[in-house]
Amino acid sequence: MHRHEVVVVGAGLAGQRAALAAVEAGREVAIVSKLHPLRSHSGAAQGGINAAVGKEDSVDTHIYDTVKGSDYLGDQDAIEHFCREAGPTVIEMEHFGTIFSRAPDGSLARRAFGGAGFPRTIYAADRTGLALLQGLWEHLGTARFTLYQEWDVTQLVVRDGRVQGIVAFDRKTGDFTGIAAKSVVLATGPAGRIYGRTTNAHSCTGDGIAVAYEAGAQLKDMEFVQFHPTALLESSILITEGARGEGGILKNAAGERFMSKYAPHVLELASRDVVSRAIVTEVLGGHGFDGPYGQYVHLELMHLGKEKVESRLQEICDYSRRFAGIDPVTQPIPVYPAQHYMMGGISTDIRGATNVAGLFAAGEAACVSIHGANRLGGNSLLETLVFGKEAGMAAAAFAAKTGTSEVTPADVDAAAAPSRAWSNRSDGEDPSALRTEMQRTMERYVGIYRTEADLLEGLQRIRAVRQRFANVRVVDRSHVYNLNLTDALETGHMLELAETIVVGAYARTESRGAHSRVDFPKRDDARWMKHTIATRGPDGPALSYAPVAYTRWEPKERVY
Amino acid sequence: MSAPATIKVPISVYRFEPGKDAAPHYQEFTLDLAPHTPILSALLQIRSEQDPSLSLRYSCRSAICGSCAMQVNSKSRLACETPVGPEVERHGRIVIEPMRNQPVLRDLVVDQAPFWRQYDGIEPHLKLDPRHPMPDGAPNPMTPEEVDRFKETPRCIACAACYSACPAVEADPAFPGPMALAKLYRFVVDPRDQAHQDRLVRIQPGGLWLCLRCHLCTEACPKDVRPSERIRDLKEMAIQVQGATEAGSRHAVAFKENIGETGLLNEMKLARQTYGLAALAKELPQGARILRKKPELRKRPHPIQGMDEVEQIYAALDRKEDA
Repeated sequence: MHRHEVVVVGAGLAGQRAALAAVEAGREVAIVSKLHPLRSHSGAAQGGINAAVGKEDSVDTHIYDTVKGSDYLGDQDAIEHFCREAGPTVIEMEHFGTIFSRAPDGSLARRAFGGAGFPRTIYAADRTGLALLQGLWEHLGTARFTLYQEWDVTQLVVRDGRVQGIVAFDRKTGDFTGIAAKSVVLATGPAGRIYGRTTNAHSCTGDGIAVAYEAGAQLKDMEFVQFHPTALLESSILITEGARGEGGILKNAAGERFMSKYAPHVLELASRDVVSRAIVTEVLGGHGFDGPYGQYVHLELMHLGKEKVESRLQEICDYSRRFAGIDPVTQPIPVYPAQHYMMGGISTDIRGATNVAGLFAAGEAACVSIHGANRLGGNSLLETLVFGKEAGMAAAAFAAKTGTSEVTPADVDAAAAPSRAWSNRSDGEDPSALRTEMQRTMERYVGIYRTEADLLEGLQRIRAVRQRFANVRVVDRSHVYNLNLTDALETGHMLELAETIVVGAYARTESRGAHSRVDFPKRDDARWMKHTIATRGPDGPALSYAPVAYTRWEPKERVY
Repeated sequence: MSAPATIKVPISVYRFEPGKDAAPHYQEFTLDLAPHTPILSALLQIRSEQDPSLSLRYSCRSAICGSCAMQVNSKSRLACETPVGPEVERHGRIVIEPMRNQPVLRDLVVDQAPFWRQYDGIEPHLKLDPRHPMPDGAPNPMTPEEVDRFKETPRCIACAACYSACPAVEADPAFPGPMALAKLYRFVVDPRDQAHQDRLVRIQPGGLWLCLRCHLCTEACPKDVRPSERIRDLKEMAIQVQGATEAGSRHAVAFKENIGETGLLNEMKLARQTYGLAALAKELPQGARILRKKPELRKRPHPIQGMDEVEQIYAALDRKEDA
């Protein structure tokens, strides 16, 4: 049994920033992460981080763009705070040691991104996430904290009306161990692997969101799933929006620059939901290219010239050459939309607090909500840092006024019991097969375009997979790096969350941002300008709704 | 939508669980795969279809998280970005083994604690001087040229492929290894860091000169960080800062001087310049044995033919350095 004041689960940008804030507030802190912090998925973010620091730009424009991008589902008070913190946050990261790309005058270089009124995306070539992750981790190295590396969270312990700590699984030993904490910050990232085609890393399995949900935390807006327009065909590796920001264009099989039909003013730099739907519409209309890995469109960079492509989009060149055998300097890149981001997550307020006392969340695992129905490129890295810091400070303040917490041997036993049962079975379901079945179901029935019939079918199928999961079997008996067991743990987590996505999507009879109902193609502000709240019940998620916070921006039709 | 053309891929995978297995063994698989299939995909297919007990680290599958470095036909590679086709073409099959220089925990999973300790050991964070505070409410100015000085070191993903490939790490675990030294370079050239000189002075006895200049790290690096070239840069900067104070740096300086004089190494002189007379005195019996075997070492080398060319090369290098 271990004991700390503040436990942060997840060591990407949000978790690290939360830990730093809690240490700076004078608390004793531990970080629990299933990956070494430098291997976190934050490092895969490519394009950049938004901050309205340019002379011609303004914080108000950043706020407006984010509100509009959210299709008016973002909470405007949270968005205002978020955009005001952007400049100081980026400057702080620069002071921590992040190496950003620079303009000739020595200032931070900026590029154009989708849905933004000005070039306000600050970047480090096309590896901004890696640059920030290195900068923050190396700075955090000067602080004192405990790191539980390659430990998976399996349970959140809530008793006497507040968080008591977590139970976690040590991959090196196979032991389940209790870690008592006065407050817990969940920053475990997304659950993108619920989908088959995703830009997300294999590790993005929503562990923190699932344990929070199982412990009674509310989830918000889970049906809003962002599909990134330009993922590399077959592998679904991300091709940054920065590629379009630098001037990349999209073409269909007829050679048409088809975005002129869907976003006549800003073309490829419309917001992501718009561009993804445009690509799918083109392909469904018979205008896609066809190949062994399915249909696709072309992202062309050739006209930008070798020098620009190779210097500003260095990783993209590598990815295209290595993973698709394409040289973007001379050839178009085959792309198709793939799951990329979850706007939804653990419902928090502006300080990262959830409905469970002592439980805080930040980053992609959380939903404040600043992204509403659709996130703008360049806002997610910023979110991890702004709200990671908020959650860390709030968790520290909570811990400072809270007495001792307790994780009991009974808690640990209860958390370990399912996996013991999985390992003791002589017959049962293969976790990896169940995962594949879930991914195919979500891909087919809960994708970019949704209908009532598909969502019903999807829900039945996901529930059927959940039932089969009750009989899951782990065949690997080793206690050391038993991936068969972590596969099962993760699949269980994702199945919980998949159900909340389908149920939320089925209930929401309108189209807003990334949630696109063919049978309800219009946004319906009168009935649906509200957040979906999912609470775990005996028969699956129970839905309720919460109002959207307004400050200054009246809902308008979204045109790009 | 037509099915992609596939080839037969024989894969031999290292399996070992210390404490349980008496010795490592290799498990054989044959898969039908499109030639461009990454090795990571092949291993995951083995896990999902044939043997879920195979253990490895992986996450992003796009060469950015640094999890899946392993030995592919005896070379340190990221499994996610190494396609099966060329390996089968060159070697007839694919042998997958864990990285070297790090103890195996299970199968392809190694204990990276020593690697991370070396990384922490170079103090990878900006060191400031209270006399040079960060600008208030503004980023530090930095020109694109200053950013270029980092070379490719910001691309490092800490995958440890270089650490696995490094014979100096194998010979002396105290050697920080290529990644840590490339990271040190990143801080030494950072205009915001105020401890350049101190870092260079401290790394000299700390292992800088143990690098063998074999360039295997550069060959292994999946992100073109070129650690061996950055180690060379560090050596040059260290001599500039401190002069030739270490056996390693004295050796480098003496080497250059020897060649400049005659075009040949004067090994007697080189040893004296590198280690000093006092240190050499302790090695007298060994020295006497060498001289008995190689009496030609007693003779001072005469300048070689074409010494003028050597001089021209040196002059050209000096001009390049000045520029």
